[in-house]
Amino acid sequence: MEERVIQDFVHRVTTDEVLRKELVSDPDGVIMREGFSPRVARVVLRLTPHLTIHGSIGAPGCWWNRC
Amino acid sequence: MSDDTQLPVSPFAARQQVLRERLHLLISMLHPALRVDVERAFAERGKLLFQSPNDSSDTDAGNPPGSWPLLTMLVAQHFSPGIDTTLAASVAIATECFVCALDLLDDVEDEDRTAVIGELGAARALNVSTTLLALAQRAILSLTLLHIDAQLILRLLDTLQESTLVATAGQHRDLLAERREASDLTREECVEIAAAKAGAIMRLACLSGAICAGATEAERAEFAEIGELLGIAHQLDNDSHDLYYLLQSVDTSSGMPAEGSAKTDLARGKKTLPVVLASSMSTPLQERRELSDGEKQEYRRALDEGIMTTWGISLLYRERAYDLLRAISLRSPLAPELSLLLGFK
Repeated sequence: MEERVIQDFVHRVTTDEVLRKELVSDPDGVIMREGFSPRVARVVLRLTPHLTIHGSIGAPGCWWNRC
Repeated sequence: MSDDTQLPVSPFAARQQVLRERLHLLISMLHPALRVDVERAFAERGKLLFQSPNDSSDTDAGNPPGSWPLLTMLVAQHFSPGIDTTLAASVAIATECFVCALDLLDDVEDEDRTAVIGELGAARALNVSTTLLALAQRAILSLTLLHIDAQLILRLLDTLQESTLVATAGQHRDLLAERREASDLTREECVEIAAAKAGAIMRLACLSGAICAGATEAERAEFAEIGELLGIAHQLDNDSHDLYYLLQSVDTSSGMPAEGSAKTDLARGKKTLPVVLASSMSTPLQERRELSDGEKQEYRRALDEGIMTTWGISLLYRERAYDLLRAISLRSPLAPELSLLLGFK
């Protein structure tokens, strides 16, 4: 289930510093290795800068327009 | 003296004007004392009569004023570009009345200190909400004046009624969940509640547009699903951002959110998805007991992870909707305004 995949991945990135650094340096490689579905891969790509650098989530309402 | 400053013209401006005219006609039948309060409700941010202080609402972040009825109207025009504007606008105004009514109820039930509740008070807000639910039906019944087929009118009313029952059941489950421990709830249950609440509302916005334009059963089902997926995405996006911003205002001495926030979900013990996810990893915030510094840090980390996960799941639901929209646009390209409204590229 895709929800579970995202939940597990966020938890791993949050708690595993090695994975977090790898995601910064080679996000495409991590996504390829994890074997995500194309849809989950798009979500993870969107989350990556917030998971690894900003420490904050994207702008609210971004899903609807002006995104 | 002329003012050379040109504000950008909104791609939605013409439709917004049509919708406002239709709305004003509908509410003109109300007693003036009630009409003033109804107009106030429609002047909230995002609603059709909202006016930005600098009168350039299209440069504001977020959705254009009247985005819900715009969605209904644009879906109708997707299926039938030449649809009678009065027909599409009437159905779209029913959507706006319905959404505005439920928003007021939600504010009162959640004890949110929003501007409109502050001005009207709970009692008048509830009465305005009742009025709006009646106006939603009236907007659809007004189609008899256009000699619209009675079967179509009945189908639209049936869809409105069904959405009301689904959304109120979702709201009831949400209210009952306040009495439960966050650790008793699951991710699936939270998404189910979001689907019943916000999913039903956006489903209605899309489905009623498709119905009034004569879409086939398969086409209606497709747009109903898109609406539900986007509604869930919308709710989870709100839940993650509300908690995120609330935590920005955390009083560091107590480790608890500051008093005075407009949204009181956390203080009321709302079991939104980020809170439920966090509770599976750490001590629930709602216990409001004295936490050690270590517990506070652990708990904050769990909340941050819950927020990020919820935002990710919100994006997942949006992507599911976009996958459907991609398939539809291959068969029949979407109007640029509809794509823009949905953030679909």
